[in-house]
Amino acid sequence: MNKLKSKIKPYVMLLPVMIFIIGIFLTGIIFGLLQSFGYFPAVGLHTLTIKYYKEIIMNANFLSSLKFSFYISFVSSMLSVILGVFFSYVLIFNKKGNNGGLDGMYKLPIMVPHTIAALLIFMLFTQSGLISRVLYTLGIISEMKDFPPLVFDRRGFGIIFAYIWKGLPFITFVTYDILKNINNRYSKIASNLGANNLQIFWYVLLPLLMPTIASGFIIIFAFSFGAFEIPYLLGPSTPKAMPILSYIHYNSINLADRPYAMVMNMCITLCSFVLVGLYLWAFQFIKKYNN
Amino acid sequence: MKTKIIFKYIIIFFLILPLFLMVGWSIASSWPWPVIIPREFTLRGFAYTLSTSTQGFIILLRSVILSLIVTLITLIISIPAARAIAFYNFRGKTLIKVLILLPLIVPILSVAMGIHLSFIRLGFANNYIGVILIHVIPGIPYGVKILLNIFEINGDKIEIQGRVLGATPLQVMRHITIPLLTPGLIIAGSIIYIISFSQYFITFLIGGGRIVTYSMMLFPFVESGDRTMASAISIIFILSIIIVLIISEKLVGNFYARSSKYYV
Repeated sequence: MNKLKSKIKPYVMLLPVMIFIIGIFLTGIIFGLLQSFGYFPAVGLHTLTIKYYKEIIMNANFLSSLKFSFYISFVSSMLSVILGVFFSYVLIFNKKGNNGGLDGMYKLPIMVPHTIAALLIFMLFTQSGLISRVLYTLGIISEMKDFPPLVFDRRGFGIIFAYIWKGLPFITFVTYDILKNINNRYSKIASNLGANNLQIFWYVLLPLLMPTIASGFIIIFAFSFGAFEIPYLLGPSTPKAMPILSYIHYNSINLADRPYAMVMNMCITLCSFVLVGLYLWAFQFIKKYNN
Repeated sequence: MKTKIIFKYIIIFFLILPLFLMVGWSIASSWPWPVIIPREFTLRGFAYTLSTSTQGFIILLRSVILSLIVTLITLIISIPAARAIAFYNFRGKTLIKVLILLPLIVPILSVAMGIHLSFIRLGFANNYIGVILIHVIPGIPYGVKILLNIFEINGDKIEIQGRVLGATPLQVMRHITIPLLTPGLIIAGSIIYIISFSQYFITFLIGGGRIVTYSMMLFPFVESGDRTMASAISIIFILSIIIVLIISEKLVGNFYARSSKYYV
């Protein structure tokens, strides 16, 4: 009896969380998946078909959105990771107690919501924004029009800036403690053996930090790939980011359009899964290689 | 060494500068291009947000309560789950761990669109129940992961000792488990609160526009580019988060400061 009890106990403890995870999260994804295959009884669609996938993949609008979203997420996440790790590295050279609060200020953007991040980037980079004003005052531009449109532009600069502003501190936040730890443990040994700072960073710190960097990259990439607010507020009208295109189809008066929205959602989800798969595969590979 | 410090300040500057710009805009009534300092000042943004006639303050208060409820629910369901993963071995543990972390990777937008119809059928859409339920999802990975780390660091030896010395399970929970867990609860709670308080899209979708949170009040002002209003609302947004976090940290901290003298 007692043995049975202790066997069931962990499942009972997990039950409340699993009600949410299975009841809402998984169910939501599975219903979305079913609808993407055309199973949508609410509007009288009962047969499973891959017609919607075929149509979407042939659609030029969709392809340009997919490319645009991928480009934005990849560039912003990559730059966030590079700058964030670099910033982390710079911070560990601080002497303790040196200028106290200022260094901690970098964490502020983490708690600022994406809607406000969009507002800040807008006020900074729009043609009448602060940067343009500073450039005018310095005499670099003579008219508002001389300042290149960096928000609502087709290259997505505004969106990328906003995601970096949010992503850089996040990466620094997750890597800083670990980097500091590794640095304390191995740096002196390495420099004793004759490595210079660059070699220490490249051959010792970076490889040991890689798992953290990779999971940080995946989190910010997946988020920016599937989030609505920033591309909606700072993006161009064409091409639209995937989540926005998906919402337009979802919100269409014609309910039969919903499967298209679901196909796009599944593409977004699938891309994130592929990324996680790559991550797991890469680390399996590294493990084998090390042994 | 010098270049490192210069780079450090450049990065800090670019992270902080926009926040100062926001403070400037929030009180500017006239700030034409290309002037660097605003010409005339106003408090219209703050007045609008905090006045009782525009509902701004009531919306803020309701959002705070909504996010506090979401935080409480998420923490309550995360504690036993994190414990189970930390201290028990059971079938399907890896699968469950992956499932719990999955909301970090899968966009909440796909989940909300997929579950929307079922929520409408169950009567969860267009009201607070549905909004609270959907807000819990993105917080779960943070709640469970952070508490799991704390459980793994602390172990369960102190609790077992308490039991051996004759404490009831409830006493163990009240005097050992929760006080030891407090730092984790504060960190996880803060993150979950911020995530919930910042949600725009899923509130808008599941709430059907009828549940207006503070994030939703801000959105149209950012969309239309009304910088004075949007900045003022944003500043109150950030301040409200900081105030709520400080108060809850104090409350939780004080409550357990009294009981903490029994261990150590």
